[in-house]
Amino acid sequence: MKTKSNGLKRFFVNCFGNEKYQSITIPLFAILISLIVGAVIITLLGKNALSAYQNLLQGSGLLPKPSYAGYKSMLTDFTSFLNAWTPMLFASLAVAVALRAGLFNIGVSGQMLTAGFFANVLVGYSEMPSVIAKPLVLIVGIIAGACVGGLIGYLKYRFNINEVVSSIMINYIAQYVFSFFINTYFVDPVSRQSVSVSTGSRLTLMDTLVGDLKMDIPLAVVLAIITAFFIKFLIDKTTLGYELKAAGASPTAAEYAGIHVGKNMVLTMVISGGLAGLAGVTYYLGYFGSIQPKVLVSTGFDAIAVSLLGNSNPIGILFSSFLITIISKGSTYMSSAAGIQAEIASVITGILLLFSACGAYMKQKIKLLEYDITAEKSVLQKQEKGEEQ
Amino acid sequence: MNTVIIDGLSFTLPLFIMAIGGIYSERSGITNLALEGLQGFGAFVGALVAVVLAGHFSTNSQIPYYMAMLFAVLGGMAYASIHALLCIKFKANQVISGVVINILAMALTSFLTKQVNKTVFGAASDKFVLGVSVRWTIPILSDIPVLGAVFTNIYPFEIMIVVIAIVAWYLLYQTKYGLYLRACGDNPHAVDAAGIDVAKIRFIAVLMSGALSGIAGISFAYSISANFSSSIYVGYGYLAIAALIFGNWKIFPTLGACLLFGFARSGGYRIVQILQMPSSYSDLVMILPYALTLLLLIFFSKHNQAPRALGEIYDKGKR
Repeated sequence: MKTKSNGLKRFFVNCFGNEKYQSITIPLFAILISLIVGAVIITLLGKNALSAYQNLLQGSGLLPKPSYAGYKSMLTDFTSFLNAWTPMLFASLAVAVALRAGLFNIGVSGQMLTAGFFANVLVGYSEMPSVIAKPLVLIVGIIAGACVGGLIGYLKYRFNINEVVSSIMINYIAQYVFSFFINTYFVDPVSRQSVSVSTGSRLTLMDTLVGDLKMDIPLAVVLAIITAFFIKFLIDKTTLGYELKAAGASPTAAEYAGIHVGKNMVLTMVISGGLAGLAGVTYYLGYFGSIQPKVLVSTGFDAIAVSLLGNSNPIGILFSSFLITIISKGSTYMSSAAGIQAEIASVITGILLLFSACGAYMKQKIKLLEYDITAEKSVLQKQEKGEEQ
Repeated sequence: MNTVIIDGLSFTLPLFIMAIGGIYSERSGITNLALEGLQGFGAFVGALVAVVLAGHFSTNSQIPYYMAMLFAVLGGMAYASIHALLCIKFKANQVISGVVINILAMALTSFLTKQVNKTVFGAASDKFVLGVSVRWTIPILSDIPVLGAVFTNIYPFEIMIVVIAIVAWYLLYQTKYGLYLRACGDNPHAVDAAGIDVAKIRFIAVLMSGALSGIAGISFAYSISANFSSSIYVGYGYLAIAALIFGNWKIFPTLGACLLFGFARSGGYRIVQILQMPSSYSDLVMILPYALTLLLLIFFSKHNQAPRALGEIYDKGKR
């Protein structure tokens, strides 16, 4: 009996591999469990879970759908998936940079809205040629986001205000203030949203005719992928990245080592806010062409899940943001094809978050099991030796 | 003036009871950013019970109302146990756990509300419409000028909350359990050395915060919108956290902070009404409590003394 449980344990530990692989296997385990839980929920609703998951992939342009409307194909679905992926990638990088420095930027949505609003008003409504307008949108977005992020960092550094509380307050303030301005000055009376931005300033080329297909081409997706590698470089190879990680791991130790923790805190939030600003402009001036008043997008919160799942590692985030975008983007098609509420997508994401939050515990547990196994092994060996003598 | 006091109180008291829940959890050493999710989930369970029961009673019956209160407490506690498990058993980062709980609550309740409406009531709706709560006016006291408004048009939950708040204060400051709880937040090793189970004390404290948040959630659902929908998540949980930080993790100063938020909100609405400004200006009023929170935190955060072991994972081996 004892050896059997030992074998089970060993199988369990072997599945996760050594510590190097655990940063990949533990998130995979979390994904697997939450997909299973999601499947159980879908089955309880009397629907076929497998075909529902298949629909998620079809909606994201990764599997062919049974039929397509004119000018549409799997490729157009995939480019519009990339269009949704871009802001998610930026937002997750924003969360990750802050997490690495021990800060929790839950205000990404508010920073996105701020950046989107200013880019909309300053560039989106002007008649600039697109060569000037598009880079300008990016710059305005970065500056606006960085200002809000920096403010949160400064409040924490100077006044000791928990960044979670302050960023949530700023989220709500941004939401209501901008909704007021949109409703008063920039509202489109038909759609009840802000007036659409000019096509020249839009970061996604919508409905562009390529061959016999009409596709949405997200220009910023290349920038997003480059940014991911740049952030990886910044964190791993530069002094700034080293100081940032040191301050995150242990602020007191970093202070003793001569690192200015407060300055780092503000700087981290500036970078994080700037990335969130990029997420904002690619969302509001790319994926959408307008801003809906009184609504904070869920991207900023989903980004927390993505970042946790990717171990706050930019390369890991490339994969995890891809996955979460499949779930959220594909859910629209799933709900129309299988008749399941699209909200199930956010439930699955939420469960995924729950399991990712337990990652550290899993790691510890595996280590304990390893000790158990080696201890039992040595006991067994001793017993065998005793029998031989 | 009267409406400012009446509306202000009906907003202040739920906020206050939620903040007390937060105080319980944080004084025991568990950071609780999950209040937002706890109140939402509690309100969801309460509202579900009220909607299901409403068909079995006459329209004027108040039984569903009290059952909703009871089940909101149970729902809040059940949901809080996830936070307690993550923080105490699974040793997760408490800030992350709290935020995760909130996100999951929002996703789960909006999904379940739609699903229940579809399968049980056969209607495509994303809210549970609740009955109208009775409101009481106390005869003689309400005739006092100005202060009389305190006793006019009160919701039953306001009286309940006052009673529960007094009990909660007594429990925290006058009983042995309260002493252990506060000690857990400052020096869990000393509590452990005295032979008391730190994990158990903290677990109960987090469940308490779930129960109290549940009351707050269902009260908001009844008083603000008379229905349950995802609009319940407008950051009141975080407002409660700001109130308790501002109140220095003590019950009476926290009441002061909550009163300030409540009257800032109702006063702002009244001003918009009096000046007859267009409705979009109410958006600007909505930011009052949040902006006020930030300002107050700027002035008071520095001098505040958080419980010393707050947010730390209790590790027996570490001294």
